[in-house]
This record gives sequence, C-alpha cells and structure tokens, in this order.
Amino acid sequence: MDFSNFNGAEQAHMTKVIEKRQMQDFLRLYSNLVEKCFNTCCNDFTSKALSSKEETCIMNCTEKFIKHSERVGARFAEQNAENMNQGGS
Amino acid sequence: MSFLRGGSSAPSGGVNIDKIELAVTELDTVTDFFNRMVQSCHSKCISTRYAEGDLNKGESVCIDRCVAKFNDVQKKVGEKLQSRGAANAASGAGGGFSPI
Repeated sequence: MDFSNFNGAEQAHMTKVIEKRQMQDFLRLYSNLVEKCFNTCCNDFTSKALSSKEETCIMNCTEKFIKHSERVGARFAEQNAENMNQGGS
Repeated sequence: MSFLRGGSSAPSGGVNIDKIELAVTELDTVTDFFNRMVQSCHSKCISTRYAEGDLNKGESVCIDRCVAKFNDVQKKVGEKLQSRGAANAASGAGGGFSPI
C-alpha cells in the first residue's frame, strides 16, 4: 500500500482509519481466540470451575496463538516486501 | 498488492474521496487476507494438544511454508480470475464478472 501520493489531510484521515481498523481487528482476534481455546480445551462439564489442566491448556493455547500470529505476520511482511521488489505492485 | 489505482483529480488541498475509498478498500482486503491466512495456517499447522506455550520446530517450519503457499495460491487464483475475466470481455460474453 503506497501512501506517498497522499497529501497531509488524506494521510491524517488514513491514519485514523487504520487505527480504528486495528482496534476492531484486535477485538475480533480476542473473541475468536476465546472461542477457539474454549472449544479445544474445555470438554469436561462435571464441574463449574476450570480444572488446572483446562487452565494450563487455555494458557498454552493463547500463548501459542499469539506466537503463531506474530510469526505469520513476520513472514507475511517478508513476502510483501519481496512482491514489491519483484513485480512492483 | 496495489491493483486499485486511479481516481479523479483532487481539489487543491482537499481530501480526495475516491482515493481515500480505494485506499480503505485495499486496506480491508489486505487485512482480511492476513486474518484468513492466520486462521488457515493455525488449523493446518498447530496441533490442538497445547502441551506447551511455545511453537515447536515442526510448527514453525510448517507456518513458514503455509504462508508461502497461501501467497502462491492467492497469486495463481488472482491470475486465473483476471485471465478468465479478460477472456469473457474479449468474447463479448455476458455473465461472469469484470476483472478488478
């Protein structure tokens, strides 16, 4: 995405839009993650409280997803840079 | 990935709505693409045992390859759609949809 031909007012506007999108994205990621980790980790409803096994599973699930997302982001950025250099999008 | 260009000329110092809208559409497309990539590669590469919080070596390698493949698929599908769209336009056929 090339914003070099945008004037000051347009860039300011785009910055606001990007910030709002990022926040929405983060909230969506959060609710997605809750659902995913719940579905995989919590299968025993003989008790109301989270067992320690379930709690460990949830912690690992969350941490793993965050690390995964970071890694995908890094690779994605590399691919993008490569695409920019190659074809000139 | 900037296949959206153009827009009318802006009034001096003003905000060009067309340009902004194109940029926002592109932003949304890229964000959606990235989110789908994250979800797909997670379901394909990360086992659901969750024995530990870190990615192990196998998962890391899988993620790298998954991202590369996902990108390739995106390119190939895009090319195919565009060529099909161009073929449709050339033959004057209705139906299908116009290339981006």
